[in-house]
Amino acid sequence: MCAITAPSSSSTAAGPPPGTAAVELHGITKRFPGVVANHDIDITVRRGTVHALVGENGAGKSTLMKILYGMQKPDEGTITLDGEPVTFHSPADAIGRGIGMVHQHFMLADNLTVLENTVLGSEKLHGIGDGARTKIMELSAAYGLGIRPDVLVEDLGVADRQRVEILKVLYRGARTLILDEPTAVLVPQEVDALFDNLRGLKAEGLTVLFISHKLGEVLAVADDITVIRRGTTVASVKPADVTSKQLAELMVGSELPTPETRESTVTDVPMLRVSGLHLSAVDADGVPREVLDRISFTIHKGEVLGIAGVEGNGQSELVEAVMGLRDPDGGSIVLDGADISHAATRTRREGGIGYIPEDRQRHGLLLEAPLWENRILGHTTERPNSRGALLDTSAARKDTRRIVEEYDVRTPGIDVTAASLSGGNQQKLIVGREMSHRPKLLIAAHPTRGVDVGAQAEIWEQIREARREGLAVLLISADLDELIGLSDTLRVMYRGRLVADADPAAITPEELGSAMTGAASGHLEDGPADGATGGATGGATGGAATDTDDGQGGGRTR
Amino acid sequence: MKRLDRDKLITAVGAPVLAVLAALVLTSLIILISGKDPFRAYQVMIEFGTTDRSAVYIVNKSTMFFLSALAVAIGFRMNLFNIGVDGQYRIAAFFAAAVGGALSLPGLIQIPLIILVAMGVGAIWAGIAGVLRTTRGVSEVITTIMLNSIAGAVIGYYLTAGRLGEKDGNLTHTPNIPESSHIFMFGTSVGDINGFVVFAVLAGFLYWFVLNRTRFGFDLRSVGRSETAAAASGVDVKRMIVTSMVLSGAVAGLVGMPTLLGESYNYGTDFPLGVGFTGIAIALLGRNHPVGIALGALLWAFLERTGTQLEFEGYDQKIVEVIKGIIVLCVVIAYEVVRRWALRDQQRRVGEELARAGSNDKAEVGA
Amino acid sequence: MRRVTKIAAAGVATAALAFTSAACSSDDSGSSDKGVGLAFDVGGRSDASFNESAARGYDKAKKEFDIGGKELTARDGETEADREQRLTSLAEAGYNPVIGVGFAYGKSVNKVAKDFPDTTFAVIDEASQAENVAGITFAEHEGSYLAGVAAALKSKSGNVGFIGGVHNNLIKKFEAGFVQGVKDTKPDVKVDVKYLYESDLKGFQDPLRAKGIAEGMLDSGSDVIYSAAGLSGTGSIEAVAAQDGAWAIGVDSDQYRDKALADYKDSILTSVVKNVDVAVYDLIKSVQDGEPLTGDHTFTLKDDGVSLAASGGFIDDIQGDIDAAKKKISDGEITVSDTP
Repeated sequence: MCAITAPSSSSTAAGPPPGTAAVELHGITKRFPGVVANHDIDITVRRGTVHALVGENGAGKSTLMKILYGMQKPDEGTITLDGEPVTFHSPADAIGRGIGMVHQHFMLADNLTVLENTVLGSEKLHGIGDGARTKIMELSAAYGLGIRPDVLVEDLGVADRQRVEILKVLYRGARTLILDEPTAVLVPQEVDALFDNLRGLKAEGLTVLFISHKLGEVLAVADDITVIRRGTTVASVKPADVTSKQLAELMVGSELPTPETRESTVTDVPMLRVSGLHLSAVDADGVPREVLDRISFTIHKGEVLGIAGVEGNGQSELVEAVMGLRDPDGGSIVLDGADISHAATRTRREGGIGYIPEDRQRHGLLLEAPLWENRILGHTTERPNSRGALLDTSAARKDTRRIVEEYDVRTPGIDVTAASLSGGNQQKLIVGREMSHRPKLLIAAHPTRGVDVGAQAEIWEQIREARREGLAVLLISADLDELIGLSDTLRVMYRGRLVADADPAAITPEELGSAMTGAASGHLEDGPADGATGGATGGATGGAATDTDDGQGGGRTR
Repeated sequence: MKRLDRDKLITAVGAPVLAVLAALVLTSLIILISGKDPFRAYQVMIEFGTTDRSAVYIVNKSTMFFLSALAVAIGFRMNLFNIGVDGQYRIAAFFAAAVGGALSLPGLIQIPLIILVAMGVGAIWAGIAGVLRTTRGVSEVITTIMLNSIAGAVIGYYLTAGRLGEKDGNLTHTPNIPESSHIFMFGTSVGDINGFVVFAVLAGFLYWFVLNRTRFGFDLRSVGRSETAAAASGVDVKRMIVTSMVLSGAVAGLVGMPTLLGESYNYGTDFPLGVGFTGIAIALLGRNHPVGIALGALLWAFLERTGTQLEFEGYDQKIVEVIKGIIVLCVVIAYEVVRRWALRDQQRRVGEELARAGSNDKAEVGA
Repeated sequence: MRRVTKIAAAGVATAALAFTSAACSSDDSGSSDKGVGLAFDVGGRSDASFNESAARGYDKAKKEFDIGGKELTARDGETEADREQRLTSLAEAGYNPVIGVGFAYGKSVNKVAKDFPDTTFAVIDEASQAENVAGITFAEHEGSYLAGVAAALKSKSGNVGFIGGVHNNLIKKFEAGFVQGVKDTKPDVKVDVKYLYESDLKGFQDPLRAKGIAEGMLDSGSDVIYSAAGLSGTGSIEAVAAQDGAWAIGVDSDQYRDKALADYKDSILTSVVKNVDVAVYDLIKSVQDGEPLTGDHTFTLKDDGVSLAASGGFIDDIQGDIDAAKKKISDGEITVSDTP
């Protein structure tokens, strides 16, 4: 396809001129139980470019990258680096050929310094002393990474840690970097900084393979885009030639449901009223900490209340307190007029709370149990699962088939174990199960995390539909687009407190991201209303906002 | 559907068959190494094990094993390891014997009373471990082992003349229960089959029914599969731990009943020991399923029965212990192998399903 | 029921069946006289004590009368049914006599014997309850009397101790004889009597507890300790050996010669030996002679059923007193009580 070039020399900045293929994957096929097999993958990555690989979750991107990084061997197909066919038996082979990988989950030792983390495992390259320090500072300056070599990693923020990961890869002589969903953990400002770094790498002649499913980001930074769907490459495009919507349609394989102009369905009937909720816990170091501090909010029938926040600021605890998995130290929780502050989880579920847990494998499913038993889970006492004290297995099985059908759970049958389904299909089963009991209140924690775009749209649609019929939703999500797009009211959680509220119709992800870091409080209202998220939500938002009793009503953002 | 049924069958039957075959091969090798003829040994076992008298022995013995394994299995289904069945059945049988020996009511009242006392004492003894686990976080493995010891000490203290025991030659035992409290027997020409086997079968059926057909059973099983998911689904996990330990202990209380009501009529220093540990092996063997446990218990009793005969024929009696050990090991390994195979097979089929849709997409895109 | 069993059996042996048809057939015809059937208690033939002693008599008889025999051993955690089965197997196969070693066989021997009226059964340490059963007991109290004599003569402090494994009738015989022997020899010597357990049979297998009690006795001044506690006795012997000038008296077999106790043998004054081998031999002989022993039969000091071991030579200096006491008992001049 491309001209074959001589292998690049190992000197730093002088690679082959941009435009030649650094990496070529041809006809890659990988059969793998449980996930979509890669088949007939063709990708050509030009040297000195940022090449994005986009696709839904579960489309096979990660498998493909593992093949390129030597973690898995393809069953068929060839990998060519700078024109030379190669076979990798292990990541060490790949590293030796100048390929480096920055994983989604960082692999750093918290109690070591940046320098120590960098040289760890590569002590032979430049030693562990001044030689290594010089090399690190060179790299940092060359690519604008802003590295402070003597800081402990545990003192670094997420973005800094990511830069250390990139440094580690460069230190090992990588000329081609694979970044697996690098923006998933970053707030918008950090994403911009990362992209600046990537452009710096590119300018120095390095090649970046960038995996993502966030299309806006891809369009912003990539030179080339390859779309992967259900295990195979379906298109290669230039960002200039496509819109975000076209790209999404390529990923999903069908036309996306257009984001409807939303009319408000918020009523003035309160469904969940949480006031003064208080919970303290002892952390790993034995220090007592306020995990939930004077949390108050009300969700009305037909309202989606979104909670934004960097993970670990008390969202999980809030969900668990509302579900009855943790007993609050103070405050009250009232569901549809009934005080459930200290009620058992089962009572709450029977009272009409549906629950899409954050970690579906740990909290939402019995992985070793068949689908139909998973359909019973959480609703043991309700029809059609049981009559009196006895299970009604035939009715439960029948209803499982209905859910599989209606919610498009891709499975060969209802007797397979939940573990054998892909993540998205597991989530569809959970959503189907919870929705089947017509909840009054749905607690949705990261409802579309790890779910492909197609299923994501379906899940959103189901939530919207139920909302129209009067469902109240407590939505926790790290996906700011999802929060803004789905919520009627937004609240920001920071260190166990609800510190700010915002109107989803008027706020941008950037502003929200900023508030999440604790930089803002009160009502976020002066952001430019760019209308990106669609229609107005009406007066109900304001109504909900008045519930704030944090005493910060008049605060202003920046 | 057909296919899934076949899978289920393979998992259920394949593993034990695989395990027993592997155990046979290994045992044969060991006997061969010891310089004896393994096939002769098997012939002896089969010939002797299938005589009428052996059949009676095996049924009687397996009744006890079955109940013990059932008690262990209740814990296993909850992911609890009740090692204390041994102490539970002994202390239960002891106090039941003491109560039975002290009263002389009509059998129709006294037999159920004795059984209830046994279940109650077993339940309390196991419940202690459950409560300690939920309130203080102590592993039930540790507590049940210790409670075994304590049970022995408590029995030792009370089983003395002047307390709850009486002397009989060189033995000490509780006063005999009145004749009216002897359990019915199915008489055969070569010995009596203990009527308690009826209760054992009933217990097995109830175990199956409660676990698989009731809400309670579903909750219990879900805790066993995932404590976190069960808690999120509304099960009070702590209460479930205590409840299942109590149930396990209550069933453990039944273990000593066939002996007490149908054989010894008292609890003495010669009351059978160690049946609780046998139960662990049999529960593993039977995969916590009542039918599997029943077959496992019969197999165990068969091996016990024929072990003596093997010694008679010049084989080392310990060879039977070796067979038992190998069978349990093979079973555990075989189940894991078959389970993984089944999961991979399912994943493959789920994958096929998705890939089919995927290739359709490719065609669309290509078009 | 039989069908069920067969199914289970088939599960084990389906594969084996295919091969077994070619294997040789069993040779136990079931009626001919094949020799002696010996059922050991837990521990088996080499337990350095009771079972071993029985085995000695059995070996001697087998050689002397040129007969066959079969030995079977009990397992841990047996039930009555297991013991019955063991005895039945022996009797069914034509062994005669069938001997149960140890009082654990008390009930089962008497029960099984009823099904085989033409076979002679025997049980060691338990009474007979059927016509064709010989209940073999020993005059342990007589042997213990001699131990009491030795203890009284050897004690310097004037305090001696007795440790019983389990407070049952059998061990009380030891206690009674020992105390009487001490008192008859030196009325002012004090005897400290302790039992490890009231009824729990683990009293015969708890050396640690015996050691603790023996140490307590030594601390309170006893300098000769007699332990009738099976395996537990090793614990008290160990404790005694740690103290200079103290003596231990062993039981059942000549413990001076016990290899497991070789380190402590210089502290083992003597042992009250229960000559189970003599009893077993006599029983086999009686069957061979066509006049089988039945009913209760006590092997006394007089007929060497019990004796005091002299290994080590520690009691050579008082042998005269012991022989005198022995003679008095044999002649009936002294009657040793078998209850304390």
